Amino acid sequence: MIAIGGRQLIAAVNPAAAAKGIAAGMPLADALSFLPGLATRPAELAEDAAALRRLAEWCSRYSPWTAPDGQDGIKIEITGSAHLWGGEAELAADLSQRLARQGIAHRLAIADTLGAAWAVARFATAGAMANPCRFAAEAGNIVAPGEAQAALAPLPVAALRLDPALVEGLHRVGLRRIGEIVAMPRAALARRFGPDGLNNTVARRLDQALGELPEPLSPLGETPSRRVRLSLPEPISDPADLARAAERLTADLVTRLAREGMGARRLDLGFHRVDGRVEHISIGTARPSRDPAHLAKLLTGKLDTVDPGLGIEDVILAAFAAEKLAAEQIESPLPRTGALPPSLTGEDWGEGLGPLFDRLGAKLGLDTLVRLEPRASHIPERASVASPVSDSPHPNPLPLAGEGAAPQKPSRPVRLFQPPEPVEAFWVLPDDPPFRFTWRRRIHRVAQADGPERITEEWWRPDGELIDGAGSPDAIRDYYRVEDASGRRFWLFRAGLPGNPPPRWFVHGVFA
Amino acid sequence: MNNYPLSMSAAVNLIALQDRIRRIERPGALRHGVLPFRVEAIDRTLPGGGLALGALHEILGHGADEEDAAAAAGFAAGIAGRLGAGIVLWCLKRGDLYGPGLAGHGLDPARIALVRAKRDADILWALEEGLRTQGVAAIVGEIGRLPMVAGRRLQLAAERSGVTALLLRRWHTGDEAAGERERPSAAVTRWRVAALPSLPAPELDYEPGIGETRWRVQLLRCRGGEPVQWNLEVADASGLVRLSAGLADRPAAPQRLAAEPQVWRAAG
Repeated sequence: MIAIGGRQLIAAVNPAAAAKGIAAGMPLADALSFLPGLATRPAELAEDAAALRRLAEWCSRYSPWTAPDGQDGIKIEITGSAHLWGGEAELAADLSQRLARQGIAHRLAIADTLGAAWAVARFATAGAMANPCRFAAEAGNIVAPGEAQAALAPLPVAALRLDPALVEGLHRVGLRRIGEIVAMPRAALARRFGPDGLNNTVARRLDQALGELPEPLSPLGETPSRRVRLSLPEPISDPADLARAAERLTADLVTRLAREGMGARRLDLGFHRVDGRVEHISIGTARPSRDPAHLAKLLTGKLDTVDPGLGIEDVILAAFAAEKLAAEQIESPLPRTGALPPSLTGEDWGEGLGPLFDRLGAKLGLDTLVRLEPRASHIPERASVASPVSDSPHPNPLPLAGEGAAPQKPSRPVRLFQPPEPVEAFWVLPDDPPFRFTWRRRIHRVAQADGPERITEEWWRPDGELIDGAGSPDAIRDYYRVEDASGRRFWLFRAGLPGNPPPRWFVHGVFA
Repeated sequence: MNNYPLSMSAAVNLIALQDRIRRIERPGALRHGVLPFRVEAIDRTLPGGGLALGALHEILGHGADEEDAAAAAGFAAGIAGRLGAGIVLWCLKRGDLYGPGLAGHGLDPARIALVRAKRDADILWALEEGLRTQGVAAIVGEIGRLPMVAGRRLQLAAERSGVTALLLRRWHTGDEAAGERERPSAAVTRWRVAALPSLPAPELDYEPGIGETRWRVQLLRCRGGEPVQWNLEVADASGLVRLSAGLADRPAAPQRLAAEPQVWRAAG
């Protein structure tokens, strides 16, 4: 039951209650007056939706394009995958049998279009509602190609996925079956129901069901680029068996990727349990890969997160974000000749680095793995950018200032605090460095200082922002290298110009 | 000994036993060679004439810099920048490492792969992975707590692969520092780097402001060597250090640490 606007309504009924005339949507009070012994439970809509989603995910064993449909349906696009089961009837039989084993009452239909399958699954041979399981494998629920119109004609107009109000409107003018609407000229429909609204919706739904309007299925998650499946005759649960399954699928996938000259950046290994749940392992690689041993190692390294439950009957390995990968990169893993040190900006990472980054990324997250990329900017924060190792190298890495020239004194700190840490400072003249400042609750007396070095925002960047945004006087910073009495060195800056409000001081970094 | 002459076989056995003890004490040390500092005073102190490669070295900060380990990072950059071909895997918790600053100490930031992790345990794991990988010249780990076992694992992994490991110890609270500072570890050497006030420039070549970076570098622990300290300065961005030519009150000669017995080494 469900409470809407203070009234309690029946949300769903079981076959026994349905046989006594109780229907969904009926007020609870009415139902109880029919059947005083009626047992009720509060409806858990969120739970139901989650369960439906899980079931849709489980259905991905039949096809990657699956999605929940409304509150009680699941749509599966089986074009191109039915032959893997020996045909549509076999696929339907397998699906039905497995659902029945999970104790899920269901009705299924296969048709040319989503609309037709929807209608047939819900409305064909409506008399047998009491035991919906029985329908499942009946041949009548598979609409042969081109037969959609014939199959739909005897069905009530509600089977066109229309609003109840629209259905009522059609009923008022005596249109009860889909066949009657199909027979009517569209112009007559338009005259009767006006140029838009009713007519358009009805016509659109009709065209969708008959396949004259395309209706793409948006799948439950991202659609993988490549996908391989392993169906097991007996459910498995031993970790060693799971590892073997993962290795075999990796080998299959790699064969496919190699044939197409692709490499995968992201893999998802789904273990479909007999109870209908799906356990996932996801891995990412820093660069496209199709090294079977390496990928299998990444996957099996995470197997301990998989709970096999009562057993696993299907394993599906999907590759996302496949990218072109030239063949020679895999087939000659030895480093190229010459003793050039591998640099992160170069293409050649050497033999072991790619797998190292993948292992680190798989455990800690690929975003935790960065390199310090120099940029031509005099704004300290922008002069060195942390960019993910997995990204392709910066197209035109600009050289560091002073690179190639004679080695210079260290003039930049080794630690840079982001954001800069405010300090309490005391100074005498407007352009002076502070003679004393308090940072992290410690007083530092300034013994010597260099500066100022004025750094303002980059005028050619409209989005430039320093501390308080572009255009504010605080966007002007005067940097000082300051040494305290103990010899520690700090990179201090004064934000803003002398005046009112007084400028503020920050420690931006510490020198070695 | 002369009063109790050993039989020949006993003497041979004793030598063999001593060798064994030495091997146990110093497993594989120096097998991968050394990196000289090119400062004679330091190189003479270190067994083999330099920093052992394929080994674990600890570098501590001093005073308030134990939190930032800035001087330690500069010192480590100077070492890592001179270590052979390959990347430098630098693992840390706070992402406050600044490339241009490291470049000033001889380490090209383009060689660094940074790994940020939240826990010491993850950093130790990442370091160990790095130590097993070809193409890694050095690993640098910024770590708070270092359990004895973890240190030994790193040392063994470094010995096996020949990759040099530098551990920067960073402590964010006084308690953490007090607990870890004196704890023994499996590292081959333990250093402490403290900032020193810079020296005024010589009158003839007068430049106002801050002079060259100066450190007091203490070698606190060294297998086969004794604790000793030097005043060093960083001359340029090549990553090399040199003895700081001092004023009278800051002798350039290496100084024996107060608590350590009988060792005095002459200036280089």
